[in-house]
Amino acid sequence: MSRKWIVSTLVALAFALATSAVFAANPIVIGVQAPITGQYANEGQGIEKGVKLIAKQINDQGGLLGRTIEVKTCDDGGQASQAAICARQLVNDGVLAVIGTYTSGAALAAEPIYARANVIQTSDGTSDQLTAGGYKTFFRNAPPNSAEAKFTAEYLVNGKKFQRIAVLSDHSSFAKGLSDAVVQAVKDDGGNLVYSGFITAGSQDYTAVLTKIKSVNPDVLYFSGYYPDGGLIRAQMEQLDMGATFVGGDANQNVAFAKIAGNAAKGAIIINVPSPDNLPYPEAKQFLADYKAAYGQEPPSIYTFTNADGFRAVIAAVKATQSTDPAKLIPWLHDLKDFQGLTGTFSWDATGERIGSPFTAFEIQADGSYKIVYPESATQ
Amino acid sequence: MDVVLQQFINGVTVGGFYALIALGYTMVYGVLKLINFAHGDLCILAAFIGLTVLTSGLGGANAGALLLAAAFIVAAVAVGIAGAVLEFTAYRPLRKAHRLSAVVSALGASMLIENGIMLIWSPQVQVFPANLLPDLTWKIGSASISFVQVMIIAGSLILMAALYFYVHHTRFGTAIRAAAIDQDAARLMGINVNRVIASVFVVGPALGAVGGLFVGLYYREAYFNMGWIYGLNAFIAAIIGGIGNIPGAMLGGLLLGLFNAFAAGYVSSSWQEAITFALLIAILLVRPTGILGERVAEKI
Repeated sequence: MSRKWIVSTLVALAFALATSAVFAANPIVIGVQAPITGQYANEGQGIEKGVKLIAKQINDQGGLLGRTIEVKTCDDGGQASQAAICARQLVNDGVLAVIGTYTSGAALAAEPIYARANVIQTSDGTSDQLTAGGYKTFFRNAPPNSAEAKFTAEYLVNGKKFQRIAVLSDHSSFAKGLSDAVVQAVKDDGGNLVYSGFITAGSQDYTAVLTKIKSVNPDVLYFSGYYPDGGLIRAQMEQLDMGATFVGGDANQNVAFAKIAGNAAKGAIIINVPSPDNLPYPEAKQFLADYKAAYGQEPPSIYTFTNADGFRAVIAAVKATQSTDPAKLIPWLHDLKDFQGLTGTFSWDATGERIGSPFTAFEIQADGSYKIVYPESATQ
Repeated sequence: MDVVLQQFINGVTVGGFYALIALGYTMVYGVLKLINFAHGDLCILAAFIGLTVLTSGLGGANAGALLLAAAFIVAAVAVGIAGAVLEFTAYRPLRKAHRLSAVVSALGASMLIENGIMLIWSPQVQVFPANLLPDLTWKIGSASISFVQVMIIAGSLILMAALYFYVHHTRFGTAIRAAAIDQDAARLMGINVNRVIASVFVVGPALGAVGGLFVGLYYREAYFNMGWIYGLNAFIAAIIGGIGNIPGAMLGGLLLGLFNAFAAGYVSSSWQEAITFALLIAILLVRPTGILGERVAEKI
């Protein structure tokens, strides 16, 4: 009797050891491709922290399909050349899906590599090119440029009724795509475009081009590029005593924008999906609180949330299909309908385009906080 | 007309700090025939050191001008010392080696400083606090000039004049010029050439440090890898003016700033840099040694 008891105990023990060995040896690997260093380090680190937070929460609850989630990060520095190296490295690491990256250029460079390896890629990159390549592994987690451009033109031409509109962009594929679309949408809406031009991102001195813009006397200057340049443009407009309203595209939404613009930040308008603090959904409030508790800081921007949404959708797909087979997950994700994300409900269409996300225009207040000013339905 | 004046003010401001940084390239080249590729990074290091002093809160909130002066002095002294250390560790042991070895050493030093800044101050954009400087703007017609622009233009002109006086009207300046013409002959005349070279590596970076801190105060932001682009622009400014020639570096810096402003303002902002550099190529085709570069050409 006692011998039988020992044998069965040993068998049970061996079984437990074996399963735990499988459990430990065979995690689900999720990649994060993001700019951890460089100009957009702030954003990249936010994406990584958001993904790691969700992975930890799931692991604490017993994992996904009984397996732990392991996160592997590759720093692409926001550069296309580095992005291609990252993509190959993450593919070699055997990732199921890759969350990120922040810049459209880096996401574009990585896209074909993930597609060949059948790795799911979900990025906030808003360049319209990202979904035009026909890659079935790509899922955009933020709304595309075209949606933002339509809203922007509506705000400039019909909402605020600006009479003389100037548009400025940098040469990145994201900013150029957005400004081209805004120019087209403004024309479609019958707006009066008085200037359209470019800056070289990171060159810091924009007084020359702003002086030229000032001479055509616009009442609004729209900038489609990123916050380090946007903040400087706003400050240098003030220095040149330009009276035009500053309206920035979504990449200007970052806590650093107001710091760089300094006293000139107040009154600047930024167009984006609602800021983290303004997201009304309970899931978003919970995630924000967890993030603050885990890292002792605010997420840098909404893109921490949209990338988290991409990750959450992948997790939902694994749960729903009870599988980690891309051949099952990818069709499921393409059929995703009305998924409750942190940034509102969304669906994915056959090209991996995110459908559904409300834009807002908000004004920076004297204390650096945001106040939604358009559309009126969102201000109540 | 007001637009021309405004573009002139924009260009001279930027030209001021290009010129200050260019001086360091040209002084080192004049004496050693070495392009110190780490110079741009040393100058940007000054912006970070200055920022640390300015945000340290020494002397409380009302210290204002005193704190600003302290930031400039600490940054210039620290970067001057860094320049001397760089000369002693990275260049002096290679002085008799092949010229390429020193160039590689310079590039290595540049990466060392850049990544050092990243490790100490983080890879994120560092923002200078608002309200450090009086928020004053003067109007000239519809053109405007701000306090910080006046400070940069005046500060760089004064420093350039002081350097010119130092090199041309003091005994030590005479020693620098002598060492630039012929090191062996200078040594025979009793000049301590090693000390002259060390001094060039202190004075150049110290002036560049003021330029770097001007960059930080003007744009109110600094990131760890911006030394490369400022170093490149200043290097080009030194070449236009005639590398090795001190007034040439000043002229080259101001011209580069003005070219940039007028190219963006009158032709196309997308082609700003292409147009600027096409003009520079044109200058070099007409005068291959740079605008004021004759004396260097004789030496080579």
